[in-house]
Amino acid sequence: MTAKKKASKKKAAAKGPAGSTPAPARAQRGADGVYPETQILSRNFGVEDSWTLAVAREQGAYTMLEKALATMTPAQVVEEVKTSRLRGRGGAGFPTGVKWGFIPQDSKKTKYLVLNADESEPGTFKDRYLMELDPHLVLEGCLLCAYATGLDVIYIYIRGEYPLSITRMEGAIEEARQAGYLGKNILGKQGFTVEAHVHPGAGAYICGEETGMLESLEGKRGHPRIKPPFPAVEGAFGCPTVINNVETLAHVPCIIEFGGAWFAGLGIQPDPANPRALGSSGTKLMGVSGDVKNPGVWEFEFGITLRELIYDYAGGPLDGRKVKAVIPGGLSMPVLTAGELDVPMGYDALQKVGSGLGTATAIVMDDACDMVEACENIAHFFADESCGQCTPCREGCHWMEKIFARIKAGEGTPKDLDLLEHLFVNIEGRTICALADAAVWPLRSILRKFRHEFLAQMPGQSDPALPAGSAAVGAR
Amino acid sequence: MSAFEASAPAAPPVPASFPPKELRQACDEIVARYPTRMAACLPVLHLAQKHFGGWISPEVEAGVAAYLEVSDSHIRGLLTFYAMFNTRPSGRHEVWVCRTLTCWLRGAAGLRRTALAKAGVDRCGVESPDGRFLVKDMECLGLCEVAPAVFIDGAPHTEVTTESLEQLMDACE
Repeated sequence: MTAKKKASKKKAAAKGPAGSTPAPARAQRGADGVYPETQILSRNFGVEDSWTLAVAREQGAYTMLEKALATMTPAQVVEEVKTSRLRGRGGAGFPTGVKWGFIPQDSKKTKYLVLNADESEPGTFKDRYLMELDPHLVLEGCLLCAYATGLDVIYIYIRGEYPLSITRMEGAIEEARQAGYLGKNILGKQGFTVEAHVHPGAGAYICGEETGMLESLEGKRGHPRIKPPFPAVEGAFGCPTVINNVETLAHVPCIIEFGGAWFAGLGIQPDPANPRALGSSGTKLMGVSGDVKNPGVWEFEFGITLRELIYDYAGGPLDGRKVKAVIPGGLSMPVLTAGELDVPMGYDALQKVGSGLGTATAIVMDDACDMVEACENIAHFFADESCGQCTPCREGCHWMEKIFARIKAGEGTPKDLDLLEHLFVNIEGRTICALADAAVWPLRSILRKFRHEFLAQMPGQSDPALPAGSAAVGAR
Repeated sequence: MSAFEASAPAAPPVPASFPPKELRQACDEIVARYPTRMAACLPVLHLAQKHFGGWISPEVEAGVAAYLEVSDSHIRGLLTFYAMFNTRPSGRHEVWVCRTLTCWLRGAAGLRRTALAKAGVDRCGVESPDGRFLVKDMECLGLCEVAPAVFIDGAPHTEVTTESLEQLMDACE
């Protein structure tokens, strides 16, 4: 599953080794109106054998760790990340520097970093590219985090279904250990001693939830914990723990290279009038999969619209088809219709239109997609992946799946739609973790935006607004 | 098939000797990575499943439990929670078909039908009568840009068609 290499349209890349190039400038749409790629995280993706230490070093790997150890205090690294306004790339978008600041510095306990590489969100494959093609960048980010927050041990929790990512990260750890980037007194820095291990998952979506991941790391079923206590205080093995997404930490070396202020200047600025709009600074790996000609992953500054992403980079819909619905980031966000695609990819902008950035990897459904069947497929996913702790989720997701199956079988009535709305209210926000919310959001939005398709499959509920036969689209 | 359908055993399983000498060093190294023995459960179970023919029998389950100083039921809880573990014989070849939205949009339902027909079974999760295949329905395998995706014996195959899946399964002994 070597990551698929894609021909790119336009690039504003930081080419050449880290530390030798000027900071990339802000992305500008060209004369042809095309939003350019900005390759910072992905700048080594096309380099041959990019995952080996020898090649990675030629590209400047670990020079930012050297720079930080030689010229910055841990507190200065945390400050730089705070200045960058880097937000978590795993879906929730929490400010990374703030999260690091929660780690108690007076604690005598062992401190852990658990790198969330359990990339189980459907439609999401960006972290796989980073781990397969630039594992030393990921490890350098982890080490910068370890230096900044005073951590002792790094566990890289990779989903079991990513065998090549596991091999490449284990290989990178071994190479880094031999080269003195891991172990005792790293690079001669007295007291900076860090170990790293890969921990393989075994097939459970819920282990991507941060506290479910901690339980799984400890050798248990991935049952999310009630918070507080928060992982920063009481995380892995009862000790202070940072949990960050792969892509989040892969951004840290470039923040040390070009500065937090530079990073904060990229992308979408915070809205001073709205304290909850924290902005979307920097770049992001964005992907498209589903019913498009050219699925893939690219790196952009925040601000490209969902429509540009789908049409200019993912090639638009298949021949003779039209885009019907898009989930902008993974499976767990509310759906947008074909008329709602002119929204910038960013945390706040997507929230404003009633959806969310999620993992910024869109799933496109075209006009051949039967939305009732799609809902059954989505509900099945969450029913299958519910950990079973909380009744609303464990029972509710199965109920929803059964109702969609009933409608698909032609045995539904409009009362089923009311029952679904009743279930949504009794599931959303009533569980320990956000898996149940993640089930409700896409389903409720599809039900509300494509209600006619559900009615059209019910006996005696023909919708005059719908062209004959249009609901009975291609069986999959 | 859920674990509940299994008939109750007549006697407690006799724990298998674990780790076998081929796995001793690897298992001890894994245990040394963590502050608790329990934390080694998942990586050790991966090794055990691979070593013991693709599934964890009650005897191996009890052997792993003794080695890691946890209860048999703790291990059973893990085996039935995590999709990659098997608690019954898993055929000589394990075929995973991704069923989640992107792969489904790109034709995964047809792949599932093909895989089941090739194996000669009517549902996922049961070994084929000739012991050759175990077809499993899997949730998103993270190969969405090259969907639909299938894993055979842990190796990923991408942009799979019903024809190419037939060929891949024909090539399995």
